[in-house]
Amino acid sequence: MDFAAPLPGTQDLLFDAARRLRRCEAALLGVFERAGYAEVIPPSVEAADVFGAEAFRALDRSGRLLALRSDFTAQVARIAATRLAGFSPLRLHYRGSVVRRLGEGPVHENLQAGCELVGAAGPEADAEIVALAAASLQALGLEEARISLGSTGYFSALARAAGASEKLAAALIDEVDRKDLPTLRSLCEREVPAGAAREALLMLAQPPRPQTAARELLAKASALAPSEDALAALRRLGDVLERTDDRRLEVDLGEVRGLGYYTGIVFNLYAPGAPKAVGGGGRYDSLLGRFGDPRPAVGFSLDLDGLVAVARC
Amino acid sequence: MLTIALPKGRLQGPALARFAGAGLVPDEDPGSSRKLIVPAGSRARFVLLKDGDVPLYVERGAADLGVCGLDQVLESGADLLTPIDFGFGKCRLCLAAPKESKLAKSTLSEAAELGRSLRVASKYPKLAARWFARRGVPVDLFALSGSVELAAVAGLADAIVDLVESGRTLAENGLVIVDDILQVSARLCVNRASYRLKVEELLPLLEKLG
Repeated sequence: MDFAAPLPGTQDLLFDAARRLRRCEAALLGVFERAGYAEVIPPSVEAADVFGAEAFRALDRSGRLLALRSDFTAQVARIAATRLAGFSPLRLHYRGSVVRRLGEGPVHENLQAGCELVGAAGPEADAEIVALAAASLQALGLEEARISLGSTGYFSALARAAGASEKLAAALIDEVDRKDLPTLRSLCEREVPAGAAREALLMLAQPPRPQTAARELLAKASALAPSEDALAALRRLGDVLERTDDRRLEVDLGEVRGLGYYTGIVFNLYAPGAPKAVGGGGRYDSLLGRFGDPRPAVGFSLDLDGLVAVARC
Repeated sequence: MLTIALPKGRLQGPALARFAGAGLVPDEDPGSSRKLIVPAGSRARFVLLKDGDVPLYVERGAADLGVCGLDQVLESGADLLTPIDFGFGKCRLCLAAPKESKLAKSTLSEAAELGRSLRVASKYPKLAARWFARRGVPVDLFALSGSVELAAVAGLADAIVDLVESGRTLAENGLVIVDDILQVSARLCVNRASYRLKVEELLPLLEKLG
């Protein structure tokens, strides 16, 4: 009976486990609704084009390629760009499961909840989303959590200023993401001409700074900024910091990890007891354009499986 | 409190010396003690593992940081930070083949036209597979647990992917290096969440280790 247990990467939640999950969800829903966000419930199956390569796909009887939901943000972007086109700003929240194929492991199902703010381009929108992520952690009793804030926009500006090919940019982002300063340095010395862009790239592997010391870091980076784009991305980070007051917040210019469509700020959430990020988000100004209604947007999602295990609520 | 994964074997001595230099000395000698967890004062403890298991312990947060060869880090595919290159435990991961083989005498793509996939034996199947895939060379890769050279000598494989320190074992068995795949040395690996959540404890230590 090899069908008697749930598949690896999936689970049954019974009784107390179910109660814990619902309690956390209720706490989060309260935060989202009080902030003026309204719920949308997208379908769990879509045309495969909506999602990325990590989606679990299958052909339907007519030969059309379908996929199980692997990402709520893409679905919310589709809804915002079609039925809700023209309404700005939109404040939407969601919860449910995503299914993903990751590496060689089994297909994984994860529970998520999150918020998207569509049609708002300014730093106050970025700050609203970061503050909402902080309020979510607070509602789950996670006082000691960390919000690690960076900017993929800044990285892209540096890569452009360095004249990096797509291949080189991918290699650079890999080393930055692993904080691998020795490998990053030898890669830069080989492939990036000496100058401000190279120095700024090397700074990305530096350790994170708490909000109190972040100004100094941004000033140092600004002095090295090789282009107007890079300077603008740093200025944006400073603006977001100024509007956010949360001791969980820290700035890590090497925080470049996130979904492929992020274009501006990006952040990841860490909570004591959880060995990996329990959520993350960022700005994605080109995603809605894929669905025919180019509008800026910013949002975040929470990994409920990871959070329920460590939450105190 | 930091938990540090320390590999048994040849990396342990130099790794302990580096931690001692940073002020962390185990309360008992891990070499002679049978304990699997050895405290180092009140601030840290060492857990003693096989080096191939270090990435998993660190990725899953059972250890906050660890010492491990870059070969093991990459083969494990673990999602880790690797901020420091310790510089000891140096060796190379190489593609090697019998001296008289077509592979040793021509280019990889010429040798790949054998009419069948190149048969390659390795203790690093994932790393090797990635390397061949990037070059577009089809391979029949299989994992062995030891004496990888023998596979090429005894005709089980056309080539091997293995660690080379001095190159003597290869030479004595009539094998030559065809290509370098990876420069290996011992790395510090750090759990992604620990790096953020224990930053106050970790950063001073990283500075002294680096």
